[in-house]
Amino acid sequence: MVKFLSGEWNELSKEYILKKLDPEKDLKNVTTSLLAVIEHVPPSDSIMNFYLDLKDGKLIDFIVNTGDTFKGKEPVFTVTGNYGTYKSILKGEMSMAVALLRGRLKLKGSKLKALQIIKPLDGVILSLKEATDEFEE
Amino acid sequence: MSNTKVLSTEKISLDDALTIAKKGSHCGMCRFDFLGTGLCPSGKKYGFVAYWPQGRMQIFKMLMSGKVKPTKKLIEIAHSCSLCGICDKQCNFATQLRPEKVAKALKEYTDNLKESEFQDVTEDDIVKGLREIVGEKWATNDPVIISSYVQTIIHPDSELNFYVVMPENADQISKIIKFANRHNVPFMPRSGGTLLSCATPTVLSKAVCLDQGIIIDLLRLKKLEVDAKSCTATVGAGITAFELQKEAYKHKLRANLAEAGAHVCANIASTGITSTWQNRYGWAADNYIDVEIVDDKGTVRHNSDMDIKNPYTTERGFTDITLSPPGIITESTVKLHPIADDEDVVLVPFEHLKDALSMIMKLARRNVGVSLIVLSRKYLSEFLCPTNQIAKDFEYICKNYLKLNYVVDVIGNKDDKKIVEEMAECTIDKSMMKTLILGAPKLASLKDSEFMKVLSEEKNPCKAIFAGPMRKHLEKGLDASPEQIAKIFDTDLQEFFTKVYSKPEMTDIIWLHSFRILPSRLMRQRLFFAQAGMIWAADEDKILKLVDMLSKVCDKYKLEHMLGFILPMDDGKYAFFEYDYYYDHNDPDATIRVSQALIETTENCLVMGDILMVLNYLFKGLYRKEHVLYPIPKGISNEDLALFRELLENILGEKFKW
Repeated sequence: MVKFLSGEWNELSKEYILKKLDPEKDLKNVTTSLLAVIEHVPPSDSIMNFYLDLKDGKLIDFIVNTGDTFKGKEPVFTVTGNYGTYKSILKGEMSMAVALLRGRLKLKGSKLKALQIIKPLDGVILSLKEATDEFEE
Repeated sequence: MSNTKVLSTEKISLDDALTIAKKGSHCGMCRFDFLGTGLCPSGKKYGFVAYWPQGRMQIFKMLMSGKVKPTKKLIEIAHSCSLCGICDKQCNFATQLRPEKVAKALKEYTDNLKESEFQDVTEDDIVKGLREIVGEKWATNDPVIISSYVQTIIHPDSELNFYVVMPENADQISKIIKFANRHNVPFMPRSGGTLLSCATPTVLSKAVCLDQGIIIDLLRLKKLEVDAKSCTATVGAGITAFELQKEAYKHKLRANLAEAGAHVCANIASTGITSTWQNRYGWAADNYIDVEIVDDKGTVRHNSDMDIKNPYTTERGFTDITLSPPGIITESTVKLHPIADDEDVVLVPFEHLKDALSMIMKLARRNVGVSLIVLSRKYLSEFLCPTNQIAKDFEYICKNYLKLNYVVDVIGNKDDKKIVEEMAECTIDKSMMKTLILGAPKLASLKDSEFMKVLSEEKNPCKAIFAGPMRKHLEKGLDASPEQIAKIFDTDLQEFFTKVYSKPEMTDIIWLHSFRILPSRLMRQRLFFAQAGMIWAADEDKILKLVDMLSKVCDKYKLEHMLGFILPMDDGKYAFFEYDYYYDHNDPDATIRVSQALIETTENCLVMGDILMVLNYLFKGLYRKEHVLYPIPKGISNEDLALFRELLENILGEKFKW
């Protein structure tokens, strides 16, 4: 188990998605890209992000970075929320859909399309959850 | 203790107090002065829900269930109540409860606690930070105070790991939000709490409640200024509909408002204000000139700011469910409307909904009347009658003897009244409505009488009794007087209620439409869930089919149910409907059945098309109605229905996958 957003977490999550998730069964052959922007990251109150690219249910890219954009990448969706919200999602306390509907996550992109892919993305979230149990307080 | 004597002479068992507390429905009628009694002194002084009658009942329930352990604050809460009896008067009018008995039991329970039974509360960094913003008194993490917010913003099964803060202005709210974000603590505003109390027992609970973090209680934002010249009022987020209407009326103006206890700003944001006046006064953004909002970054903005993106538009579509407002409205400048000198009321009784609907839509499209609504006999009975039992008997008479199942209820000028009278076979006027209010107990007592049986044999019983020769006999027989109606209240409250019903406004139907103090009677000792929505009104048969569908689904789930009302909007192009399920919120099985009916009827409405359901317009009240209502929703395909179900499953959890 590693700390959320660390380099180790990035590697472990990538490995988990590639090895444990079936592109057809778990990821419904989805093709999409997502930039998750995490605000108020402790201890320095910084902004970080991770970029996720899936093609036909296969993981193409999964990168952790700083800031609220990722140069050279044009994600289909950008989902912005604070560290506490992402922590709740990864701890299984709140689903991504509820966070979106409650305004705890802000979405740039089509809400309808986002909700259509939320099921396959749940598989990814599950992977990230499996790889994480350490959070900054 | 100064109240020892009272406690020793008027003891109430914990069980009896718990029975009362469990029936509390958080209607919030104890938090504003609608009967001229003054306000609960402790609530006014301390602010937090815990110090109001509704909060004490909730705390008592939580203590008895062991969900919260006593803290030293409990002593202050219990003894801040002076047993003045104001709550009994207010609550008895609205929901027939006696919260003072719970307050007495809470005092006695608290006084008998041993020192070792109190848990310590540690002031952590979050509460310290909040206190630096709002002052020592107005922020807390005390579990007993927190527990008073259960059912209106906190899920009953949640741990009580929350904070409550009571800011007094937008600047403090901005600081609280920035502080919360910096510390990654979720937050949510709370106003009246009644809407959430209706949703909390149902499947919507986990979706609408705060899971942890900071409750921002907006009650202290009490700004209220009427500018009669511009026909506007500026109201803070702590102002209730009743309080605003009272000020507006002083200037012979009227605000378009929800139920008396609803907070104006929150109601604009949540439901856009649904009222009988909305065909004329409008809906959603029609209601206000400007709003001050603190967004989720803590930035204070106004809708009138030039450099913001269009604040009046929103996403549409069946998947667009929003469970929170776009920010916290701290202040709004709302429109007020002049009241005509010749304003009057006229009601038209109907046996069949089809006929009532036809009339109300004709009136709406011709712009006749300022206030228009079709009320079911259920609503009519609940509103007019002082007790639940009298309402039931009254409704029985309407249904079985009078063939009065619906009324078209119109307020307008003398010309409007004339038009309605020409269209109707018989009408009920203002004076008869006063008779029915004061004479409701007597009328209800005629339930099994020969008089009613004879009356029911008339071709048109309503015409015979309200407009024919029998009217005089009815007026005489009902003995409608404040003294008569006061007799149905507990002996110690009868003198008070004689005075209440002697006030002209308490029997003035127009005043009652404006101030809306009666709808909380629907929450008499139990809750209801309103399945509501807006339907494109061009096809009236479709509205009837909708009502039929809602009825059949409720029968399937064995719920007490009935159409509440239908009211036209947007010049009769749309109709707003409310269909209600009544149930005991303490019965887990009933809450599941309500949830099942809610989901099934929502799905059916989406398939039917032309309907915008409550889940799709909730929290969109700040937007322009044209952006919410148009294009007219089309019926969704099976594929889309599957997507909607998936969405609900995501929001509501696996257990609601039926």
